[in-house]
Amino acid sequence: MSASAFTATLIERIELGPHVFVLRLGGCEALAGTQPGQFVMMRGDWGRDPLLPRAFSLLAVLPGGEVTVLIKAAGRGTALCERAAPGARFSVLGPLGRAFPAPSADRHDLLVAGGVGLAPILMQADAAALAGHAARCEIVYGARTVADLVLRDACEARTRTHYSTDDGSLGTPGRVTEPLAARLRAIAATGAPPPTLLVCGPNPMMAAVRTLAREHGAPCWVSLEGEMACGYGVCLGCAVAAAPGAPGAAERPYRYVCKDGPVFPAEHVEW
Amino acid sequence: MVSPDGAAPAAVDLGVSYAGMSLKNPILTASGTFGYGQELEGLLDVASLGGLCTKGISPARRSGNPSPRICETASGMINSIGLENVGVDGFLDAKLPYLAGLTRAGSSVWVNFFGTDFDGYVECARRLAEGVAARGGGVSALEMNISCPNVHAGGLEFGTDPAVARKLVRACKDTLDAAGSPLRLLVKLTPNITDVVALARAVADGGADGITLINTLSAMAIDARKRRPRIATIFGGLSGPAIKPVALRMVYQVHRARVPIPICGIGGITSGEDAAEFLLAGASCVQVGTQSFAEPGAAARVLAELTAFCRETRVARVADLIGALDTGDTRPPACIT
Repeated sequence: MSASAFTATLIERIELGPHVFVLRLGGCEALAGTQPGQFVMMRGDWGRDPLLPRAFSLLAVLPGGEVTVLIKAAGRGTALCERAAPGARFSVLGPLGRAFPAPSADRHDLLVAGGVGLAPILMQADAAALAGHAARCEIVYGARTVADLVLRDACEARTRTHYSTDDGSLGTPGRVTEPLAARLRAIAATGAPPPTLLVCGPNPMMAAVRTLAREHGAPCWVSLEGEMACGYGVCLGCAVAAAPGAPGAAERPYRYVCKDGPVFPAEHVEW
Repeated sequence: MVSPDGAAPAAVDLGVSYAGMSLKNPILTASGTFGYGQELEGLLDVASLGGLCTKGISPARRSGNPSPRICETASGMINSIGLENVGVDGFLDAKLPYLAGLTRAGSSVWVNFFGTDFDGYVECARRLAEGVAARGGGVSALEMNISCPNVHAGGLEFGTDPAVARKLVRACKDTLDAAGSPLRLLVKLTPNITDVVALARAVADGGADGITLINTLSAMAIDARKRRPRIATIFGGLSGPAIKPVALRMVYQVHRARVPIPICGIGGITSGEDAAEFLLAGASCVQVGTQSFAEPGAAARVLAELTAFCRETRVARVADLIGALDTGDTRPPACIT
């Protein structure tokens, strides 16, 4: 489906944790068919500074033309989102980009999230639950500390969820690769084929997950972030290098997070 | 410029002539901010614009620079994309058919081009002119980007030396003439120079039909916490509203110097009133650039706002705004502190 440009209105802002919040936006009928992993470019009435819209994966598509977006305030644009009051207007362009592979009865998926990378992961779990494949997927969700592990109830309502925290305040102590490695070993011990990993989180975390996926022969998809001005394929800012073995790498040494991604087979790109 | 009876004009005549071309309105989009046009279909009525300028084309396709290629700065952004493009053949085969349709719809299609050395520029102009002619036209002008580093001159931009720029423009113009090409030759100037008037005169002497002012300002940004430059190539080009005052000054300087070819103004335009400012400074038409990233429909909105501005200020013909800046008796000082 093609992208639309429209104005959305903030209905409410829901605090979830330290500088982590959800925006619930109305007037987003054009996003009804958005698939997990697709994103929007969004900008408030910010005058001329900051100039550029911000890219966010959707968290959920709700009835009545509403959507939710999960944000951690980290820079100027997200800080302005954090201060937005109900009624605030946002210019939105979307849905954009390529989604995760649709849930399937033929796969077992481990949905791996780091911090606010949870958004498309939870949406994927939702899609799996809706399609009756909840038993075929599990969420593996890591953050620095328990306060950053937001929306745990929503995860657990959809499927089995495994946690990790860097400080050991919930779940397995350490990085998300700890519980993930444990699940991969357990699945291998049953003689089942390796699961498929669908991943969204910080770049170093996704690189570590890719390494684990290689060790276990598990197919792995990652949702990348890129510096992008436009989100629709003209600024060419969000280039990522194609992996040497990726199809067409010689002719096209760069891929674009906005058009070719944000979801890529982990073995097709370098980040 | 005010209609005789002082009343708001019923309809605003938006047409302007530029470098021997008739534009249905003075709003175009800038190279590198609008792809090859087709990417924007469905997001705005591309054919409603006065025209568009394509991504810069080089003789062979280019893959561009490593990441990070862009970063946001105060009211603007820095880019170092690396002139990634499909190359002449890719352009002619894959992009021209759509653009020819726009030309038939009355929009003016400009193809931005460059070479990595002197001969590359000439080759690119020749192959574009011949290729477009062989396919039945569909392009109105070539816009030459002379802001590329000249490796034979220690990496200085071609466009920083008026003598080099004149020679390069002359060579491309002669090539177009020899091919019997009807394409206009426009030259996009770099602002990274001391005397823009000298450069404008040089490209006019070289045979350019029009001047696009300005390209991006050379700039850098630093991440102090990481102690790293914020784009991979360290330097990049600054664009957006941050550069508008610089662009206006340069347009006005070239206009006031009576350089004998017209100006297309560009630099940080985000509104109809911004566009009006460039026209008043002496531009005959303008390009909307970086704002299209933030808002794909920006150019169409700027056009609507410019039309409303003319109505509100009782301007019956948008062409009446061109160079109509009233400076009274004021002249810029010899020395600006």
